[in-house]
Amino acid sequence: MSVLELSGVSKRFGGLQALSGVSLSVSSGEVLGLIGPNGAGKSTLVSCITGVLRIDGGTIRFQDCDIQGLLPHRRARRGIARTFQKVRLADQLTVYENVAVGLASHWFARASGWPSVFRPLSAASIAQAVNRTLERVGLGDVSGAIVKSLPFGQRHFVEIARAIVSEPNLLLLDEPATGLTERERERLATLVKDIAAQGCAQMLIEHDLELVGRLCNRVTVINQGHHIFTGTPAAAQREPEVVRAYLGMNQLISGGGDDACG
Amino acid sequence: MSKRVLLIAAVAILAALPLTFGTFWINMVITALIFSLAVFSINLLTGLTGLLSFGQAGFVGIGAYTLGVLAKQGHPPILAGLYGVLLAMLCGFLLGLPAARLKGHYLAIGTLGFGILIYQLLTNSVDVTRGPMGLIGIPTGGVDKQTWYLIMLSVCLAMLAALAYIDRYSALGVILKMVRHDEIAAQASGINIFAVKLIAFTVSAGIAGLSGALFAAYVRFLTPDLFNEQESFRYMMMAVVGGVGSPLGGIIASLMLTMIPEGLRVLGEDNYRLLVYGTMVLSVLWFLPSGIGGFIERLRK
Repeated sequence: MSVLELSGVSKRFGGLQALSGVSLSVSSGEVLGLIGPNGAGKSTLVSCITGVLRIDGGTIRFQDCDIQGLLPHRRARRGIARTFQKVRLADQLTVYENVAVGLASHWFARASGWPSVFRPLSAASIAQAVNRTLERVGLGDVSGAIVKSLPFGQRHFVEIARAIVSEPNLLLLDEPATGLTERERERLATLVKDIAAQGCAQMLIEHDLELVGRLCNRVTVINQGHHIFTGTPAAAQREPEVVRAYLGMNQLISGGGDDACG
Repeated sequence: MSKRVLLIAAVAILAALPLTFGTFWINMVITALIFSLAVFSINLLTGLTGLLSFGQAGFVGIGAYTLGVLAKQGHPPILAGLYGVLLAMLCGFLLGLPAARLKGHYLAIGTLGFGILIYQLLTNSVDVTRGPMGLIGIPTGGVDKQTWYLIMLSVCLAMLAALAYIDRYSALGVILKMVRHDEIAAQASGINIFAVKLIAFTVSAGIAGLSGALFAAYVRFLTPDLFNEQESFRYMMMAVVGGVGSPLGGIIASLMLTMIPEGLRVLGEDNYRLLVYGTMVLSVLWFLPSGIGGFIERLRK
């Protein structure tokens, strides 16, 4: 059953057509790779799914509900979690505190959950969820550390922990492997598989095609806002249009092109 | 354990202190503690959620005049004070509806405008507030200064404890800090930024209103000038000198900034004392950029 279903999603910024008619779907337990050259519209697509941007055309369905009218925090409460391309943590707070923030989507999902926010951070129900998640992402021993003191790679894992502590149905990973060491990359791969095994649908935006090939059964390729391919990673590499898009990207890289939509 | 003994001793000393003060100084301390509630309200707004308000005196005025007008009409003062707090909260909520969407300078200007609006209302609604003639003889007597001091001390300590709990220990504390630090990330964690800001506005207005109601009940005389934008700036100055985000620093700063100008009167009635005062405020900010609260924090570490 598909958790997320996009059909014909379009978005324009003034004269720039950032997305034109993109369709894709992600099922529970699946890791869908989303690849494309810089500026292809990957991050824009994530913003459309999380509700930071309003789409101009098409539909976005999450768990069989049209979620276009929902504000970002409402989508998060329904179970859409994400990490960011540039890590967004409160870096003067501890790892524990940052991850606890992720539980907010739980507390606010139901009116009866609101009083939870007055509980101490060390309350058993909070500590249990946070500590279990920290163990899961391999940060159990730095729970009390200030985020600012952590190496950059570790911060990606703190963000993932914040995203999964509320046990979301859909996790959007926006270039999680950027800046990771080889060992951290392996840890990430294991973690993504582990999250998938629990039935969470994931969308992995990544430039590292080797990692995508290992983790995803299906990839969706977009280029200049257009959907150009969906299929197995191996098939993607044989698809002439994908190859063309990536050759184009290689030429662009020397020109220093950056993801226009951040 | 020894920490608890220390705390009890500190509270006992604070409670006994007024017995040694003359009427003049005890008056000053009580007023400063009442002001410190308005400073709290700024701390809550700016320190916890990063919102800037230059209209806080407006809420203080609403609380004060509601108590004043209703008490003069014969309502019980406590009930009148409660109405004052509720009306301030309602105004905070209504101001919050547009203001919570504003940021930085725009928010500062918006709240400044609100403060001026309230001041003009208080000045010009002569039928209700008697305008610049002032509201005289608010019937809230019968409580001596020692008791007033103890009431204010308990209110401030309770407020301190509540804010410290929220800030340091509660789940709400990290939610507020996340909103202040990064709204986009907070949203992605299911936090309704607008609702958080609106609630912060409402609660902050309520505390400022409480400050006003207590002021009216204590001083029993009101004029609109007590709530003009200069007062808003003074509260802001107290909050900044105390260290934004540090309620304890806020109390110390309100005590200092209320009492020092009076103490400096020994220098004579000329404006020299204001020069000395200004220099002192500047030096605090120069040497302690994060205010008194930041200094206490450093000592603790």
